[in-house]
Amino acid sequence: MYRDLIFSRSFRFAVLISISSSVFAVEEIVSEQSYIQEFPVVLSASRLAQPISETPNAMTVLDRATIKASGFRNIADLFRLVPGMYVSNLNGYTPIVSYHGTTDNYSRRMQVLVDGRSVYLPPYSKVNWEDIPLLMEDIERVEVIRGPSAASHGSNSTQGVINIITRDASASNGVRASITQGEGGISDVSASFGRSGEQLDYRLSLGRRSDNGYHTPELNDDNATRIFNWRSNYHPNGSDSFDVQFGHSEAVRGEGVLRRSTDPFREVSSSNDFQQVSWSRTQNSGDEFKVQYSHTSSTRLDNKLSSVYPKLEIFTQRHDIEFQHNFELTSSNRFVWGAGFRNDEVEADYWFTNKPPTLKQTRVFAHDEWRITPATVMNMGTMLEDDGMGHRNASPRLSLNYHMTPQHTFRMSSSVAYRSPAILEEYANSQPYTGYVKAFSKGGLSPEKMFSKEVGYIGEFSSLGLTIDSRIYSDHLNGLIWIDPVLNSTMTDLNASAKNIYSVEYKGWESSVNYRWSDEGNLIFNFSRQVTSCSEFAYPTEFFTTFPSPMVGQKVAADFYKYLSRCPNMTPFDSASLLLTQQFGGDMSFSTGFYYQGEMRVLDAGPVQTPMRRVDIKITKSFGSLEKRGGGEVALVMQNVFQDKYSDYINVAALTELLFDRRAYLTATIRF
Amino acid sequence: MFSLFVMFGITQVQASSISVAVILSESSGSYQELSSQLRNSLPKDYAIRVVGFEEDIPTADLFVAVGMKAAEALAQKDKPTLNVLLPRAGFEKLKRVPSSSYSAIFMDQPMQRQLALINTILPNATSVGVLYETLPAELDSLRKLASTMHFDLREQKVDQQHPLAGALSDLLQESDVLLVLPDNNVYRSDTIRNILLETYRAQVPMVGLSASYVRAGALCAIYSTPQQIAYQAAEAIEDFATTGKLPAPQYTKEFDVSVNTQVARSLGVHVKDAVQLRVEVRRRQ
Repeated sequence: MYRDLIFSRSFRFAVLISISSSVFAVEEIVSEQSYIQEFPVVLSASRLAQPISETPNAMTVLDRATIKASGFRNIADLFRLVPGMYVSNLNGYTPIVSYHGTTDNYSRRMQVLVDGRSVYLPPYSKVNWEDIPLLMEDIERVEVIRGPSAASHGSNSTQGVINIITRDASASNGVRASITQGEGGISDVSASFGRSGEQLDYRLSLGRRSDNGYHTPELNDDNATRIFNWRSNYHPNGSDSFDVQFGHSEAVRGEGVLRRSTDPFREVSSSNDFQQVSWSRTQNSGDEFKVQYSHTSSTRLDNKLSSVYPKLEIFTQRHDIEFQHNFELTSSNRFVWGAGFRNDEVEADYWFTNKPPTLKQTRVFAHDEWRITPATVMNMGTMLEDDGMGHRNASPRLSLNYHMTPQHTFRMSSSVAYRSPAILEEYANSQPYTGYVKAFSKGGLSPEKMFSKEVGYIGEFSSLGLTIDSRIYSDHLNGLIWIDPVLNSTMTDLNASAKNIYSVEYKGWESSVNYRWSDEGNLIFNFSRQVTSCSEFAYPTEFFTTFPSPMVGQKVAADFYKYLSRCPNMTPFDSASLLLTQQFGGDMSFSTGFYYQGEMRVLDAGPVQTPMRRVDIKITKSFGSLEKRGGGEVALVMQNVFQDKYSDYINVAALTELLFDRRAYLTATIRF
Repeated sequence: MFSLFVMFGITQVQASSISVAVILSESSGSYQELSSQLRNSLPKDYAIRVVGFEEDIPTADLFVAVGMKAAEALAQKDKPTLNVLLPRAGFEKLKRVPSSSYSAIFMDQPMQRQLALINTILPNATSVGVLYETLPAELDSLRKLASTMHFDLREQKVDQQHPLAGALSDLLQESDVLLVLPDNNVYRSDTIRNILLETYRAQVPMVGLSASYVRAGALCAIYSTPQQIAYQAAEAIEDFATTGKLPAPQYTKEFDVSVNTQVARSLGVHVKDAVQLRVEVRRRQ
């Protein structure tokens, strides 16, 4: 009888399924299970961004919509939309991004992270923006911390931190392909394929980007970069998540200046790789543990001197591992602590006759967000670091955010940050080549020390769609490392060493306004005014030298004062940017960007950069949403529409200006 | 005076002599909690027995079915039954006509309450997104209510042509808030991660079904706790003991609101605390 019952029941099942599977599903679904099932913690503390009214620093967030509306093709250009940020293309081919200035051809004082992995590379401690194996389309958002954030991000975040967050693998479904063609040899293609599943999500992106650089015959600045990027996430259960990323980029870039024998027209090739694995575990208590390991390596091959000298190859690599634990200390305290280890290695015969030591850096950090009252949040934290060069630094930060009302928030913040000397600054010992100054570091550098204070205001008027973010600040950078000419051993020539010789004070105010008057229209406006003043920190080594000739000391002193007098002009007094976006009828959209930068001169620049008043426009016609399958769009971008004759950053004597000409390009994208 | 005494006496006798059999669908968490809360809420002299739905059903004056499985087991028997810890749609599926001896206290919340919560916590929200694979029973009433409350209801079905991930991101693009309707094929412990990450990416808050949703990362949820259900069930049982009649099937009178303040802050939603929200929802519904 039981058997009969079982049979008849399964028979009935079969009939039901064959008639309509959804009817059967209804039978299954309606129960109390939906209401009592348990879920793992998904949006844990580390996944949730602090609102800008509660961050310890001023912050600018560039989201996908903003990135898209800007029309930019290169990551570096995006930072034109951050108040106080300087963006230029050195000699046409090297993007330079620096916050509050104090840059040269190596922008050393800002940390840049991609999903927590530093791309601020030894030996120069610069960022090769063009070489990051990442497509613009794969960026979820960019968070720019304006001001030192060494307490959270370690030394080298002396003036700010750029945090690029890429799209989660689960966000990609289907294929996206894009092609761009335009003036100035602009020719880009990219494609990505992604799939989101119950336990495994992945995305594969491929791209190629190339253009002919600036329309300047004196400079060889053609470039082409190929990019490969993979991101996958495996989440076997609710609490564990494994993220695996790797990428590769290969670039060939022109470099060189016409009729300059020491800098001939040539091709420089570079190859960059990274691998990154992270594991995070979220417990039901809300505790979250994360371990992340990453390896980055880059090889740069320059045929600069191939006719006379061996090829100039620079190989650098970094291993980094970090552990982090987020938890709620009490109901009003969110705490994070962790430790990390980093191993930096460089091989470059040209710069280092003797291989410099491998730097082994260690760090420990802790940060507490304490909600003292519902309206008062205190952030306090510190990082203790050993930079592997014999320096141990503590970088504390304290900030207080007070919500006077939900709309009005005031922030006071103070912090200390350091910048460790770059390997090149500390250990350079270059080969002697005719026509070049030999780089020979005496070593013994101290980290640059930044002391920063600021008061900020954040106004959030959600019913009006308006956000205002404003701050005044005073930052002191002590012991700026700069070129220190030192007599060589035979007392016949001056070698380039480095020394902590200047101190710089930055005072200014910055404002950002974001106004969204409807779902179709948005305005971002940024303004920055800064006064930079500089003073002596220490005299250069040969400042008082009279032997073998009084000329030596005089020349060194003259250079020292030359740079000191130029120093206040290394940042523009005023800069501003504006991005206006408006949609029409659901399938057309128009955006325009205006970028202003006052006159300035980077410390080692040749001529002064004349004021920039550049206007970009973008017109987009879409066929369904790009976030949906079957969507597509065509966009026309025109940069520097009114042919403003501003000059970019150059440090070669042959040129007096570097003009960015108007250029237009067309992009077509499809999703399927 | 005499008659009053007699009436009082009869009431006393009836109330004290009632025996209640609590039939559990499962012996875990919420079921246990509800049955023990029920025991605490009922007068001490009630004879209460708690058994699993697969065990032999004892004799009793009134049966309390806790959960769908117990409800199904008792629906076939012609015994006075109060069903608890089951959604309205589940009760209506049972095919036994509600009467004075067959009733229920639903564990789900009326849509009015849900929409009142959305109105309170997200006053600027106009479009409400719902995602389902199987047509939810609640959808009809939700459609009607949404239009009277001037919400723009966006429905998205998950099927072969529209797998979950794509369907969700499509829906979020046109929604100010994602309202969870019960669907075990959509909201599961192995899908909740990507669903919540997607809502956060789209900066669209989720309104969940329980405190567990809120812990996981939903902005808020409105729900009744086993204690609140037990308290209301105890009232109904005492009514039955005195009058011999169960009240009509009903939603819970009491409910809780739970808010994930960290998610709220991160999404830029200025929330009052959960207690204030509950008061506000009560006022508006």
